[in-house]
Formats: sequence, C-alpha cells, structure tokens
Amino acid sequence: MVFNSLHFVWFFVVVYAAYRVLPHRAQNWLLLVASYYFYAAWDWRFLGLLVASTIVDFTCARLLGRAEAPSVRRGILVLSLGFNLTLLGFFKYFNFFADSLHGVFAALGWQVDFVTLRVLLPIGISFYTFVTMSYVIDVYRREIPPTKDLLDFAVFVAFFPHLVAGPILRATTLLAQIDSPRHISREQLRDGAWLIAWGYFQKIFVADNLAGLANAVFDPAASHTGVNVLLGVYAFAFQIYGDFAGYSNIARGTSKLMGIELIENFRFPYLVRTPQAFWRNWHISLSMWLRDYLYIPLGGNRGSEWQTQRNLFITMVLGGLWHGAAWTFVLWGAYQGLFLIGYRAADRWPPFHRFVAGAGFLARLTSWVVMFHLTCYGWLIFRSRSAGQIGGLTAGLIGNFAPATVDIPNLLVPLLLYSTPLVVVHLCEAWFDDVLAVPRLPVGVRYSIYAATCYLTLLFGNFGGAEFIYFQF
Amino acid sequence: MRLRHLVTFVLIAAAQFGIFEVGLRTWGSSEAAPGFQGLFETDAAIGYRLKPHARTRFTTSEFSAEIAVNGAGLRDDEEIGPKPRDERRIVLLGDSLVLSVQVPFRETFGELLEQRLNSRGSALRYRVINAGVQGYGPIEEQLFFRSIVGNIQPDLVLPVVFVGNDAEEAVGSQQKLDPNRRTSEAVVDSLLTRMRRLVRRSMVLQILRLRALAVIDRLSPSVAPPEPPLQSYAARPAPRIAEGLAITRRSMHDIEQTASGAGAKAAIVLMPARFQVDDADYGRLKEIVAGTGGNLVRDAASARFQEALAPLGMPMADLLPALRAALPGPDLFYQETVHLTPRGHTVVAAALDRFIEEQGLLPR
Repeated sequence: MVFNSLHFVWFFVVVYAAYRVLPHRAQNWLLLVASYYFYAAWDWRFLGLLVASTIVDFTCARLLGRAEAPSVRRGILVLSLGFNLTLLGFFKYFNFFADSLHGVFAALGWQVDFVTLRVLLPIGISFYTFVTMSYVIDVYRREIPPTKDLLDFAVFVAFFPHLVAGPILRATTLLAQIDSPRHISREQLRDGAWLIAWGYFQKIFVADNLAGLANAVFDPAASHTGVNVLLGVYAFAFQIYGDFAGYSNIARGTSKLMGIELIENFRFPYLVRTPQAFWRNWHISLSMWLRDYLYIPLGGNRGSEWQTQRNLFITMVLGGLWHGAAWTFVLWGAYQGLFLIGYRAADRWPPFHRFVAGAGFLARLTSWVVMFHLTCYGWLIFRSRSAGQIGGLTAGLIGNFAPATVDIPNLLVPLLLYSTPLVVVHLCEAWFDDVLAVPRLPVGVRYSIYAATCYLTLLFGNFGGAEFIYFQF
Repeated sequence: MRLRHLVTFVLIAAAQFGIFEVGLRTWGSSEAAPGFQGLFETDAAIGYRLKPHARTRFTTSEFSAEIAVNGAGLRDDEEIGPKPRDERRIVLLGDSLVLSVQVPFRETFGELLEQRLNSRGSALRYRVINAGVQGYGPIEEQLFFRSIVGNIQPDLVLPVVFVGNDAEEAVGSQQKLDPNRRTSEAVVDSLLTRMRRLVRRSMVLQILRLRALAVIDRLSPSVAPPEPPLQSYAARPAPRIAEGLAITRRSMHDIEQTASGAGAKAAIVLMPARFQVDDADYGRLKEIVAGTGGNLVRDAASARFQEALAPLGMPMADLLPALRAALPGPDLFYQETVHLTPRGHTVVAAALDRFIEEQGLLPR
C-alpha cells in the first residue's frame, strides 16, 4: 500500500476514526493490527519476517537487560546483529554478491556455477532491520532500558507511517511516545494536515511529473547533449527530493495527527554549502544511524587524519550499498566518501576555509552553486544504470555541452514549472529556518500557499500512483 | 474569527481559481479547453451536436489543427447548400475517428476520398460530407442522420462503426430511442446537460471533473467485481456486448432505411482500434488485460461486428486489412490520442475508394 493510493486514504480514514475514540492501550493494539495490515497489503508472505525480526530483537534486548557478563552480552548482541544482517544480506544482497563473484571468476577464466535464487526484496527491510538493530545496540550500550512490553515494541518497529521508507527511528524518539498516552493538540492537527498536503504535493506534483524528464535523459538508448543531460540531472535531483521528502512529510503528518512526533528527515539539503552540511540535512535519520552505529564505532575522528578519512570512506560506501544492491550505489557512496574527504582536506587550507565560511554574498553564492552541482553529479552516478552510462553522461557534460541545443519545451519549461513552487516554499522555510514555517505565516500568505498547493496538485499532479523511490531500498 | 478566516480562504481560493482559469485558457491545450468545448451545443434528442459556425484551433503536443463547423453543424469549410444536378454526395457518419480534429480538414480521409473520386475525370462532381461527431455511437449517428438527411440529400451513406467501443456506447445510449421516456427523466437529463455545459466552460472545473472520474474509476473495483477492460475484445465478453451489437445492427438498419427513403444507398465501414494495427500497443494492452484476469483477443471485436451486421446484407468494408498492409513508415495512429495521423487518413481514403469501386457504390 502506498501513501499516494486510494487504498491508503480509505485505510487511514478508518484507522484514524477508530484511533480517536479508543483508549491508549487499545490504540496501540489498533496501530499494530493496522501496521501489519499496511505491510501485508504489499505481500503478506513477508509479514513473517517482520514479526520474526520483532520477536528476536525484543528477546535479545530482554536478555541483555538481565545479562551482566560482558562476554554473554556481546554474544547476545552478535546473535541479534547476525540475525538482522543475515536477513538483510540474504534478501537484499545475495544475488548481487553471487553475480559479482561469478563475474570475477569468469573474468579469471574459471567457470563456477553459483546458485542464483529469485529472491524478492521484502519492502522496507532495510528500514526496519536498522530500527531493530539500533534498539538492541542502544540496550547493549545501556543507553536505554529494554522495554518489557512486546506490544509497544512491536508497534515501535511496525508503526505504519515509517515502516517501509523511514524515517529510521530510534527507541529514544518513538518508544517512549508509544508507551505513554498521547494528547493531540490543535497545533499538531494543523501542522500534520499541512505536512500531509505538502508531502502529497512534493510526490504527485513535483516528483512524479519530473520523473518523465529524468527517465528520458537517463534512458540508456537515448543520446543527449551535455546541456540536456544537466537538465535531466536537475530533474532527478528534484524528483528524488520531492519523492523522499514527500514520503517523510506524509509520514510525519499522519503521525502528528495521531499525536506522535517523528524526527525531521530533510532540512533544506539543497541550500547547503558543504558536504558535511548536506549529510546533516539529507535523510537525517540514516545519516545519524550511520554516524552512531558505524562511523563512531569504527573510530570516528578520534584517530589520525588518515584513520578518519578511512572511516568516512567505509561509512559512505556502506551507506551507498544500503541504498541498493548495485555497483552504481557503491560508486555513489565512494563518491560521497571522497567528496567528504576532499572537503576536509581543502578546509584545512585557510583561504578555502575563509571563502566557504565567508558571509559575503559572492562567497555564499559561489560555494552554494559548486556544492549543488557536485551533489547533482552524485545523483547522476546514483541514477545511472551502469558505469558505462556514468561515463557516457559525464562525457556529454564535459565534451559535448552544446548550450544552443537546450530542449526548451520538453525539458527546461517543465523543469521550471514543476520545481519552482517547491523552491519558493523551500526558500521561505529556510528563511525562517523552520520546515514548518508555512502554518506559522500570516493568514493571507498561509492561505494563499494552502490554496495554491491544492490547485497545483489537483490540476497538474501526476495521479498515476507511482511507487516511492525509497521503497526499493 | 473562524468565519473571517473562512471568508479569507474562500476569497483567496476564488482569486486563484481565476488565475488558474486564465492561465489554462491561455496556455492549456486539451479537449477540456473551452475553445474545444465551444464546438458543441446541446441537442434535445441526441444530447449534443456540433455548433453551427463554431471555429477553433486545437493544439496538443502531437498536432495542431484548425476546426471549422459550417451552418449545417458539420465539419466543413463550405456550406452544404442545395445539391447541384451534377453533384453526388457521400456522407460519412461516425465518431471522433471520422470528425478527425487531429488533422487539418483537407487531410481527413473524407476530403482525400473526395479528391480521389474527383480526379477520375468524371463529368460528375463528388462531394464527401464529414458528419462525424466526437463521442457519438450508433444510436447518436442514427438520430443525427435522421436530423440532417433532408438538408444534405445524400447519394451514398457510409456509417463508420468503431469496433473498439461502439457496442458499449450503443448500450449506454439506448434510452435515447425510447419514445416513452418520461418527462421527469428528460428534465433530469436536461439539468445534467446544463451542468455539464457549465463545467465545460471552465478549464479548472473540467480538469477537476476528470480527476473525480478517475477516482470513481479507481474506486469501482472495490464496490463491484473487477471487469477486464476492452470487453468488446474479450474472449468471453460481458452479456452487454451482445446487446450492444444487436442495438448497432438495428441502428445500421435504421440508417439504411432513412437513406433509402432519401434515394441513397448505404454501406458499413468498420474502423479498427490502434492496437489491432500496432504490435507494441497490442502487447502492452494484452498484458494490462491479463493483469485484470482477462484475455484480449486482438481481432475479436472486428469479427463480432462483421458477424452481427452481416444479416443486414449491406456492403461492408473492414479497414483493418488495409491499415495492417500499409508499408512500414510513419505511424498510422497518434501515440497519445489514438486517432489517425495524416498517413493513416491517406491509407483509409485509398481503402474506401477501392471499396466503393469494387462494390459498385459510386453514385452515377
């Protein structure tokens, strides 16, 4: 079930109506049943994996709560992590590694027959395994006590707004809210409604309309000049932002309506001027997860500069691989890692540091333009289907830019039409440094944005019901 | 306070409605555009018809064509007028595939057929009259022909049956033939027609209406058992298809009788759907139908219409073989609107020319 389907609309109306009249404990039961139904609507056979992951990690955390001996505690942690990583590895990466090894052996002239299974990727597995792993690690680190309530824990893992595409929530954020009775304020209702409307706008008006532009440029059979490749990459940059931020906003909005606060997952990521800032503002819940459970355990920036760079690189490559079982995602992760390392190195050069950190308009504009385009080049790698396509598109950008060949009616005009309203609201929110700035604006301005959002979505939205990009991760 | 907020919101929404309306009228291009909808007017018996002397340019990403309606409510640059002694008239009845708003009038198959007939060096002048109207089915064509036959004085009438949806449309329109139709039903129909016209005048409302219809369409599987699309081509069609074929047969018979009363001959032309000609389109649709549990039989509708209309004994031309036999080249149908391209019109005109000749239908 996707948020932009009528099925979800009916589902949420029914669940919400019941939720508002039930007492706290019954609300949790309702959320669990609704969340399992939400997941099973995609494929009921994989519900077992979700339930198994929930029970295994609940049990491991309970055992950790009782165990004192470090070796026993480590053993329990390894058991939990092993279970989750096996699930993830088998369902998401088995064929990828089997095919890659087969390719390597074939290149060496060895004919080895690998078993290749037709494994279907269970939707949201990357998200809920990360949620349960973070919980067990937090309990292991004694940062939180294990919950004794299986129902609360099951709701924490399966809570339908974040189940299949995040945000990747931590027990400290969500479990406490599930455990206690919720009170829904008028402000939450207002902000929740706006986030839902804005999320649908980002998905239906921005992302799904720009998808056609990006698809045309990234079609392996197509050939485009550099200027049109650039427009296609811009289109994909706004598409993936609209798609994923839209999903996160709908998730946050629906949760708010139920009195549950989820963390912000995006905070003006395209307005930043450094790669560090980008990763603090793009898919925030994943960045935090990678930082707390991978980068810091690897040593973070506590060792030598070389060790810090190594840790950054490993973290970003694995972060890239998290997005999907393909070498282009690995390359994208490596690119982001090198980008961060390169920036750290350059930032130690005082003139560079002074320029980027400078408050002058020219310095800010220049560093923003460079950062935005380096981010976009990352999207070119991310969206490409092969290393060959990355090479071809890059060659077009550098060697055959041909600005006179810009496709005005089919690329430039639609790109501006579908991205400008998003950029305007984005700038407004950034000006107030608040992703919920719109509901706090003066009445006339606020209502104008509300009405325009509705009109644009209804009149020009793409109602094809396309899935959210991040579902595949 | 709340009332003031509500009034403010309504005023802002109304102002933006105006802005979007102006914007869409200026830059929008679809059949929902008031310019295009202005081609039609309400008709008490048929529902609607082309509005005499209406004129517009219809532009989409695939084509741009000038559409002019003459005083008789037919797509033509010229008035029909009384028939000169040396003129013979051939009337094409049908839906959007005959009206052909996608191509300039001179490139429609009716006009191309007229050029072919007049290039034979005969002392007679042949005039082919395009009496197609967007959205018509067999019953509307029957009623429309009755209403215009006196003015156009035909010698040959060619109702063009679109095998893709005419059986379904015939079922949907059969109440228009009911002489006992109650006044209250007619009043409701009239009110609905007025409301439709109001909605048609606004681009914004037109698009919102289409959105609402799409929602209803998507909801229908949850309230009714799912039915695979393109029932006229289904291996096991719904019972209404047989009913639609029978209604079509009666309508064709009525057209033949009306034509005969005016001293004209009549013959039937069967127009296939694009996917019957386009392999890629067929593969895509077959998959969609299979996904809903159905089985799409590519030429089933053509065969069903041939079988259903054969008892009438009227000459019948199926355009499918001619379109399929067309040499590789530019598309015969547009990709988005699934109507004939100029090349498609050329192929159809040649096929009709051959058919008229072979069947000895050319008025002398």
